[in-house]
Amino acid sequence: MGQTIFYILISTVICVAYFTLVDHYLMDMQGLDYWYLFRK
Amino acid sequence: MGLITRKKVLSVMALCAMITLLLLPVVVSIPSPAAGEEAAADAAKKDGDKVEKGRDVYYKTEGIVVGAPAPKTTDGPKDYPRYNFESRVLLWFANQQHLYYGSFVLAVPIFCMIIEFMGVVSKDKALAKRYDQLAYDFVKISLTAYSLTAILGGILIFTFLTLYPAFFGYLSSIFRPVMHIYALMFVAESGTLYIYYYGWDKMKEGFLKWIHLSMSVVLNIIGTLLMFLANSWIGFMMSPAGVDEQGRFLGNIWHVIHTALWNPLNVHRILGNMAFGGGVVAAYAAYRFLASKTDEDRAHYDWMGYIAMAIGVAFLIPLPFAGYWLMREVYAYRQQMGITLMGGLLAWLFIIQATMIGILFLSSNYYLWQALGRMRGAEKYQRYIKYLVFLLVCGFLVFITPHTMVMSPAELKAMGGQQHPVLGNYGVMSAKNGGINVIITTTVLSFIWYMRGNKVSTVSWSKFGNIFMGVFFFFAYVNIIWLAIYGYYIPANVRVGLSVPQVATTLSCLFFMMALNGFMMKGAKQMGPIEWGKISARSQYALIMLATAFTWMMGLMGYIRSSVRLFWHVNEIMRDNSPWAYTHTVGFAANMISFNVLFFWISILFVFWLGSLTAKKVPVGEKAGVPGGAPQPAGSH
Repeated sequence: MGQTIFYILISTVICVAYFTLVDHYLMDMQGLDYWYLFRK
Repeated sequence: MGLITRKKVLSVMALCAMITLLLLPVVVSIPSPAAGEEAAADAAKKDGDKVEKGRDVYYKTEGIVVGAPAPKTTDGPKDYPRYNFESRVLLWFANQQHLYYGSFVLAVPIFCMIIEFMGVVSKDKALAKRYDQLAYDFVKISLTAYSLTAILGGILIFTFLTLYPAFFGYLSSIFRPVMHIYALMFVAESGTLYIYYYGWDKMKEGFLKWIHLSMSVVLNIIGTLLMFLANSWIGFMMSPAGVDEQGRFLGNIWHVIHTALWNPLNVHRILGNMAFGGGVVAAYAAYRFLASKTDEDRAHYDWMGYIAMAIGVAFLIPLPFAGYWLMREVYAYRQQMGITLMGGLLAWLFIIQATMIGILFLSSNYYLWQALGRMRGAEKYQRYIKYLVFLLVCGFLVFITPHTMVMSPAELKAMGGQQHPVLGNYGVMSAKNGGINVIITTTVLSFIWYMRGNKVSTVSWSKFGNIFMGVFFFFAYVNIIWLAIYGYYIPANVRVGLSVPQVATTLSCLFFMMALNGFMMKGAKQMGPIEWGKISARSQYALIMLATAFTWMMGLMGYIRSSVRLFWHVNEIMRDNSPWAYTHTVGFAANMISFNVLFFWISILFVFWLGSLTAKKVPVGEKAGVPGGAPQPAGSH
């Protein structure tokens, strides 16, 4: 059980980081600001 | 010289001849551009005339006028000779049928190439033979269809010449060298196809087989180039370039070919053709499956249907992205054109298109879930299918929600405006992008489940792999839906960019998770063989549905693409002054598309029947064999 939770945590960190990077850089490549709403 | 060596030499010579045929039109075309500006300038200098220059409507470059202006047509027998019937409908029919068959004969040889290659590299000899037989069956079907394509092409040209002579005269004056190259390429395609087909038995092993496979590559390059050339004509009609504002050719043939929409059209059409070809072959296999009398036949056609469907769906998945690119380029070229398409006159047709796309994905998923039934060990996934159905239905419903409704004044009043207070929110692009990406991601998930249906991973890190895959899909859905919602809160110019990370999320699932699954299933324990032929009849109807939806959607999208020119033969250059320069009602267009679909399917059934007359009998042992042990690609699907 403990191992499963550990794997889920590791996977979550990797996936959240990956998708955030995808969102940020792909918007940046288009000259757009992904964080527009939060900077406003 | 021994017999084998002589055969090798002859086959290499045949391959070289094909490559020469492929290059011939290119060589012939070299003087054509050269005969453009410089030749015109020289000719003008010799004659002592004043050189007239014009500005390219798209590239904005200056060029020497070498062509006549676009004719200003008038409604009458000179420019629009006719029967007591709408000429446009006749042209529509001829064009659509030619396109259906053209797509089919361009797609099927690509299938042959892929399947023949799979056979060549397969280590299992029985399986390799089966792949080879399948590729041969495909090319045999396409051979009959090829003749019909040529006949329909002839009918199309005659229809143009007799009903729209002024327009066709203008178009052929601009594309003269391209049309000649097209004709030469057609000769090359025919020659290559016949050598490829008739050389099948003589080049079935070793080095000769590789030469034969190389021929299929040449064949497909020629076919693809043919399509690109034909696309340049419709690209020119939608987004003309290489001419001045009067429509006078400025001597640069590359500008005329390479219009704003040419490349997106090329990509969209090649993917569309492949998906369509896969659908048609899958429907053929489904029909043969349902009509089969023996278990061997059922196993063979079940396998054939699966392969065709898998190839078709592999090209269906990137198709919406290619469509998105095309629309983006349309907007970039003329914003008004994009609005007419997606937010104006033709918007309702896009709702129908969304429905058809949804049906395509629902049918594919349904087939895959049914296909899990022929695998022992796949039962574990059955209980999760309802969640996939939920995701698909949610995505589908959002995807087909219209922005505004056509309503009576009373209905309008009852709803409080043209937009529904709740559902209206789903009628915008932000939500629709989310919807389609959820649908595609779910299809990828279904496919991965199917791939691992009867297997259990034996790699040491399988537990982490499974958890990681689950978490990755979960966050992919979260990211897609988050981006869709986020789009409501930011300005349109920023929102439009969100589609790119959304697509990247879906593609990440496709490529990374497929690869991860591949690694995890290496040397996996098999719970049991795939029992080919032991699939429900319902699954085969899903394949027929898939093919019909493809055909209908192709007809619809062709109509939309053509209609967006409104009352122009060549957008903003040559006006359509015939009495039919108006946009048909949605109902009429739908009926016409349905008629075209029906005609195509009746005629293609005739082609299939012709193909079955010369069916090459395969020894029972080489065919499906005992169900269950039948065509089972080594350790995979």
